[in-house]
Amino acid sequence: METRMLQSAETLATPKRRKLSSMRKRQIRAAFLFILPGLLLFLVFNLYPLIKSFQISFYEWSIMPGRASTFVGLDNYLRAFQDPIARLSFRNTLLYTLITVPGQMTLAMLAALLLNQLGRGRGVYRLLYYLPVITSWVIVALLFRYMFQSPNGFINYLLVDVLQVVEKPIGWLQSAKTANIPIWVLGTWKGIGWSMVIFLAGLTTIPNDLYEAAAIDGAGSWHRFWHITLPLLRPTVVFTLVVLLIGGLNVFLPVVLVTNGGPLQQTEVILSYMYHQAFDFLDFGYGSAMSFMMAVFIIVLSFIQIRFFRQPEEIR
Amino acid sequence: MVQFASRRKLLSFMYYLLATLGAAVMILPFVWMVSTSFKEHAFVIEFPPRLIPANPTLSNFEQAWTANNFQLYFRNSLLVAVTSTLLVVLLSAMMAYAFARFEFPGKELIFFIILLVLFVPNLIGIIPQFLLAKTLNLRNSLIGLVFFYVSGSIPFNTFLLRGFFEALPKELEEAVLIDGGSYFTIFSRMVLPLSKPALATVAIFSFLGFWDEYVQSLTFIDDPLKRTLPVAIASFHGQHGTEWGLVFAASLIAIVPVVLVYISLQRYFTGGLTTGAFKG
Amino acid sequence: MRSHKPFVPVFYLLLLAALLLSACTPAPAAPVEPQKETVVVEKEVIVTQEVEKLVTPTQAPTGPVTIQFWHTFNVDVETKFLEEVLIPAFEAAHPDIKVEQVQVPYDQFRRKLLTAMAGGTAPDLIRADIIWVPEFADMGALAALDEVMPDFETYKEAVFPGPLSTNYYNGHYYGLPLDTNTRVLVYNEDMFAAAGIEAPPATMDEFLAACEKIKALGDDKYCFADGGAYAWAVNPWIWSFGGDVTDPEITKASDYLNGAGSQAAYEFLKNLIDQGYMHPGILGGGVDAWGGFASDQIAMLLEGPWFPPLFGSQFPDKGYGLAMMPAGSGGSISVVGGEDIVMFTQSQHKEAAAEFIRFMLSQETQLQLATVGQMPVLTSTSDTPEIQDHDFFGIFLQQLETAKARTPHPNWPKIEETYTNAGAAYLAGEMTFEEALGTAAQTIDGLLAPR
Repeated sequence: METRMLQSAETLATPKRRKLSSMRKRQIRAAFLFILPGLLLFLVFNLYPLIKSFQISFYEWSIMPGRASTFVGLDNYLRAFQDPIARLSFRNTLLYTLITVPGQMTLAMLAALLLNQLGRGRGVYRLLYYLPVITSWVIVALLFRYMFQSPNGFINYLLVDVLQVVEKPIGWLQSAKTANIPIWVLGTWKGIGWSMVIFLAGLTTIPNDLYEAAAIDGAGSWHRFWHITLPLLRPTVVFTLVVLLIGGLNVFLPVVLVTNGGPLQQTEVILSYMYHQAFDFLDFGYGSAMSFMMAVFIIVLSFIQIRFFRQPEEIR
Repeated sequence: MVQFASRRKLLSFMYYLLATLGAAVMILPFVWMVSTSFKEHAFVIEFPPRLIPANPTLSNFEQAWTANNFQLYFRNSLLVAVTSTLLVVLLSAMMAYAFARFEFPGKELIFFIILLVLFVPNLIGIIPQFLLAKTLNLRNSLIGLVFFYVSGSIPFNTFLLRGFFEALPKELEEAVLIDGGSYFTIFSRMVLPLSKPALATVAIFSFLGFWDEYVQSLTFIDDPLKRTLPVAIASFHGQHGTEWGLVFAASLIAIVPVVLVYISLQRYFTGGLTTGAFKG
Repeated sequence: MRSHKPFVPVFYLLLLAALLLSACTPAPAAPVEPQKETVVVEKEVIVTQEVEKLVTPTQAPTGPVTIQFWHTFNVDVETKFLEEVLIPAFEAAHPDIKVEQVQVPYDQFRRKLLTAMAGGTAPDLIRADIIWVPEFADMGALAALDEVMPDFETYKEAVFPGPLSTNYYNGHYYGLPLDTNTRVLVYNEDMFAAAGIEAPPATMDEFLAACEKIKALGDDKYCFADGGAYAWAVNPWIWSFGGDVTDPEITKASDYLNGAGSQAAYEFLKNLIDQGYMHPGILGGGVDAWGGFASDQIAMLLEGPWFPPLFGSQFPDKGYGLAMMPAGSGGSISVVGGEDIVMFTQSQHKEAAAEFIRFMLSQETQLQLATVGQMPVLTSTSDTPEIQDHDFFGIFLQQLETAKARTPHPNWPKIEETYTNAGAAYLAGEMTFEEALGTAAQTIDGLLAPR
């Protein structure tokens, strides 16, 4: 928009041109002063390590001082395609995302709609729902491990003794088939509050008279949600979705802290497997290669999303 | 009419009931934590869980607070999280403002790169980051952690704030400029005060992230005196037996600062979360 | 969408590249620090050993020097003792040396150490699990003590040969043993009494019979528990059933890991799981073994000599007994554990570090450490009243007579991961024995092959 304004200004009367160009210079100078400190930090501590990591992915990289690293071309990438655990961790990463992101968003939306109906005490409820977000991963992961223990864990106690929906305790963390579930539950539970707070803020900006008008027209609550709330919240929902998807594909801590990839490395995700290869076997080249494949995947996906969700005029 | 009013009352009651049920599920693990933290010498988490401990005691809190350098770790975490939050809010705001308002060569490219990095998991760079920290003598240094934390969250926060600044009306700013004011006066006197909600939002999210950060702190810091809380608390969890009451008491103390930050800044939440990037 | 002069982005790309390149340049090294940069070379270039030999000469101590000592001593008992008794005693005797001790939890230790080594900030000394030494030595990270310590021979003669051998790699000794241990059977007296079991099981048959009685106490009572299918847990069973992981020369695993003895061991364990005798935590997720033992859910464990002091401090009222590992066709054979003290090539105070090693291996220190459950490695301690009349060392010493060590090999972490996974897959019933352990043995054959 700025450019457009400047451009149109430039086509105006010539006497102003000189002043404008000096203003432009001034703007450029100011711009660099504004971005320089942040940009410098970003370049040195963030971008440079990423580029370096990209370089490492083409080497059999030795981190021991004094040992040589060998250039291996695409070997690390090819290896990832053949490694069954790498494929499995890719699948687990996708599964985690496909399950926890919609889970978080649906539950967060329900919670936001509910809390939006409350008068007094809404702030307290909001804090309660937000508590999981602000508690350390380390602690909640320990807790979840304990809750999902078998046979004598809290979840089994609920299912077998209280609700009586299953006969025998489930060995959550002992079988590859079920060990992902505690991770998914943890990821969802810990994230609900974050999305909810954002949705709730969005809901408060929707003018009440819209609902009242709809109510007079006899629209049911489902209809109101679908035709008023959701369209108006759409940008917020899209934003949350993009952020959660990135977060979901970057899943690391819940896996490392709850199952550490086990049993049998069946719950590894890309980043946990990369960390395992890098820091347990010092295979930094392989680790980097895997994480870059993931990064490329995420970037492509994100751009597709942005194309898909944003209105054409919003694409920049 | 009376019927209508009582129906509303009933409805409102239902809402509160549902909200309370939901809250109960959300905080269930905490309740468990809290009740265990009041039990003395708890090497085993009681099963089935008992909410009110038989002989409640504050000794775990006392012991956690006074033992094992806990206060030092607490100070370390506080120092790192507060410094990083202040820095990241300031630097991201400056960058975001430049991207929102100024026209300068390379703008698109730089912003594109920042956006790209935003999508890439931070963890990928941890190995070179580690080597960099060593070269720059930032290993075992809380300042080093600050640098990594700040740089790591600049992309997201710049992206958020840029959207917010773009939504601010710029007529006033132009007026100041024509009156001979500098960009810095505009930024510090007008833009920042107007953006309190957005800045508060960024501050809450960032502070929480820094306070909870685990992997980088674990990887970069060897010196036990420079440990941060999550790493310290994780190490309370012993290889042979864990005194759960102590671990949970320590974790509950660790939540306090985040709750305080949240409560003191939450009134800005609504404003901060409904403009700019959150709106798409 | 916006108009830009085409060269501008190109210019900035170049600027960016320049910035990045300048960021790549290493900062000037601190004067004392050895400058050892990671060298990137093309595949064909042969790197001479020269690069590795860049070891900083030990400097003559000027003023007090500080040495860093990393260890995995448990926090509550052993670290406290180190911090409050041993280090003050050492520092009093050596006013010019300060010891900075760093406790690192066992499961983080290897990772943390590897990163520190990569960063050139390895500690001077560590107390390393005996199984890590070949790997670290192979990396060139450890100083050969037989070269650094002029009086190494004296110490070599003074310690038990078994633990000493764990420090030997490629013609050199890279450390000295610090303590030794093994796992013996710990049984729950209350549960044994309730089930009517009179004596701890001495054979595998008796073990099964005991399990049957324990199971009769209730569905949630377990006869035995262990944290996973890793070497520390399964090896005692493999050996006691007459099997092994590799051949004695450590050249292959095929026909050993999947041989008849090992198969009998794994089948025995699988039967324990299928019967509900074994706590299912061994399949994944682990188990709070001590908590379960203390609350009478688990009747037997295999534990090391740290158990009595530490368990006693957590559950002072719980009664238990110690017994030998049940004997199978291969005898009663447990696994040797223990720690070595090793010095890093990166250490800049090798003299001071060696002094601390000497202190840790003195008879006085070794006997003091015995009070917190660390079994001494000096042969001369065997006849002392402290060891002779020790509360519980007797059974451990007896078990040590037949105990075996895990495969000492630089590739050990991968070897262990391979058969841990395979074993767990078999125990969980996901694969047949040959599918799981046969394949694992082949993989391990490859890992054992000389590079």
